[in-house]
Amino acid sequence: MIASMTNIVKRYGAHTALDHMNLSIAKGETLGLLGPNGAGKSTAIRVLTGLTGTDAGEAQLFGKKMKGNQPELKRRIGVVPQDLALYETLSAGDNLAYFGRLYGVKGAALKSRVAEVLDVLGLSDVAKKAPKKFSGGMKRRLNIGCAVMHKPELLILDEPTVGIDPQSRNHILDFIEQMAREGTTVIYTSHYMEEVARLCSRILIMDAGRVIAEGSVEEITRSVLFEETMTLEVKDPSPTLLDGIKNIQGVISCEADRGRLTIVSTAGAANMHRILELAMPYVVLGVTAHRPTLEDAFLALTGKKLRDGGEA
Amino acid sequence: MRFLSTFMMGFKYLWKDPVMVLVVIAFPIAIIFILGTALSNIFSTEVIFEPAPVAVVAEADSPLAMFLEYDAIQQFFIPEFTDFAQAEEKVAAGTVSAAFVDQGIGQPVLVLMPSHADHMAQIALTVIDSYQQIGAAATIAIMSGRDIFTLTGLEEVEITSQPLGIRTPGAMDYYAVTMIVMILLFTGLNGMELFHKGLFSETGSRMRLSPISKPALIGGLLAASTVTSFLQGMTTFIFTAVVYGVYWGERIPLVILTLFVMVLFSQALCILLIIIFEKKNVVGGITQTLFFVTTFVSGGYVPFNFGDLERIFRFAPNALAQTVVFGAIYGGDERWMAISLATLFGAAAVMMGLSFILGRRRFA
Ligand SMILES: Nc1ncnc2c1ncn2[C@@H]1O[C@H](COP(=O)(O)OP(=O)(O)OP(=O)(O)O)[C@@H](O)[C@H]1O
Ligand SMILES: [Mg+2]
Repeated sequence: MIASMTNIVKRYGAHTALDHMNLSIAKGETLGLLGPNGAGKSTAIRVLTGLTGTDAGEAQLFGKKMKGNQPELKRRIGVVPQDLALYETLSAGDNLAYFGRLYGVKGAALKSRVAEVLDVLGLSDVAKKAPKKFSGGMKRRLNIGCAVMHKPELLILDEPTVGIDPQSRNHILDFIEQMAREGTTVIYTSHYMEEVARLCSRILIMDAGRVIAEGSVEEITRSVLFEETMTLEVKDPSPTLLDGIKNIQGVISCEADRGRLTIVSTAGAANMHRILELAMPYVVLGVTAHRPTLEDAFLALTGKKLRDGGEA
Repeated sequence: MRFLSTFMMGFKYLWKDPVMVLVVIAFPIAIIFILGTALSNIFSTEVIFEPAPVAVVAEADSPLAMFLEYDAIQQFFIPEFTDFAQAEEKVAAGTVSAAFVDQGIGQPVLVLMPSHADHMAQIALTVIDSYQQIGAAATIAIMSGRDIFTLTGLEEVEITSQPLGIRTPGAMDYYAVTMIVMILLFTGLNGMELFHKGLFSETGSRMRLSPISKPALIGGLLAASTVTSFLQGMTTFIFTAVVYGVYWGERIPLVILTLFVMVLFSQALCILLIIIFEKKNVVGGITQTLFFVTTFVSGGYVPFNFGDLERIFRFAPNALAQTVVFGAIYGGDERWMAISLATLFGAAAVMMGLSFILGRRRFA
């Protein structure tokens, strides 16, 4: 077990930031922590890394409690904090070199590692520039670079893509995928479900300090969402077509609005081909199938939208 | 290794921050430049040392008369011995800058000044002040217009030592000391910046997650801010000496040691404050106010009279440092200089210790 949290309770005054949270991650896994603002993602990471204490429960990294200065343990993890943690007046290269040195990387190995990290993060051109002159995305990339100088076994990233351009975002996601392929265990927090869906083999959905769902994207959506919707646009549909569709296994309802049919099936019914078979004789103008997303799952679970943490 | 990396990082970080360099070097140098030029113009040596006529009402063999006969004093004054009524007349008419009235052994010396005193009258006061300080009995009464204030505090009159040093400090010499001490106080902001970055904010969390020991981290940051601040102080030191020919005396090592202790003091103070308050703007506000106040009460070129409070004010950090530096340059009470330096160093050590304890508790 690389990391675990058992029945963690963390309170800030009267506010419970983590409410009996459990988490475990095995070697090589990529775990996503998904939740809206204030769900407790950052708090979970602070507890796990020993930056903050708990009111109950126990957190472990590599089978040990993270407390006090444990250099051997600290060397095995890399943490990318949610906010920028850089020395703004130092150049990008100097920032990387300093954090590399703190983790015991030195000499020629340090030099080549700095060049390597600058390269994979697309910062080679600005190696000598200070991050205060960087765009938001470049700062974020450097922020990640500082945490991976020592090639950690466990990489923890707290919303590394907040508020940046799509290009930087892609760069970052590619980089994390690469790290994961090379065997790094990853904990990734975000409130962007598509990022988590892309990167993570397993996902914890959090809300108000509690883990409300856990599993792969399919597992979560299937366990939460009982219906799937498909729309079919057909020129001059006949009532027989409607009746036919209604009789297909799994179909709950089928309603027509002129040529536009809205078909609701039970989740995982896998009946789309049957529906299309029936529609063959007609002129089909369009088909849309709405695959259930984590967003839908979150909405179904909490009645809230995931993005921006606002109430739906 | 990690100590050294942290030291190098902190050093670079501070020197590459244009705001810090501006505040600590460019700004003071600019002020010295502007005010320094102004001061050297107003108090050009000719004006200062052109002896001014003063009326003296005293017996020719009285201590006051003897005092005024010293060469050093005669750079300032041409004494005209006369009687009280005439002295008063001359002051009123403006034919003398001031009048000194000896009222007998153990009695106050009366200083008569016109209501619109010129700078020579100001010097007259300073001279009588030094007359007191070397052990001469005096009470200064200042006649300001028709009002006469009499201050008490009498002692036996006996002049034993040379009243003034060989070299008389000019306005710029005073000003440079006051200024450099104030600048060094402000370099505490270097320490604040580095410790805020290294202990608080997200960077602080990152530092705490990295495998650096606490002594290496704290030691590295402290060394970086101290060395940076000291070098910044030395820049001003050399600048004043080269550009304004400020006289830093014969005991340069003692002056530099004092400036170094002042750096330690300001680092300790600002680090302690940032550990207590955590927020840079709060600490910045407190220190800036505090530093201007302590600079003011410690007195610069323009002498203020704070009465009984002066006894407290001379323990202001600036005052302690200035006591030692002025003493080192122009001669002063060695015991009091030693006490001042020790107090400054002791205060720094206590605050460092306190920072360490509070810091440990915070980051246990
Ligand atoms: N130091 C603190 N003092 C008081 N309350 C806190 C503190 N840190 C976090 N909280 C509260 O705990 C809850 C969880 O915060 P946390 O930062 O873990 O959320 P998050 O999921 O990371 O959100 P975001 O997406 O905004 O980063 C929030 O309601 C927050 O206000
Ligand atoms: Mg967060």
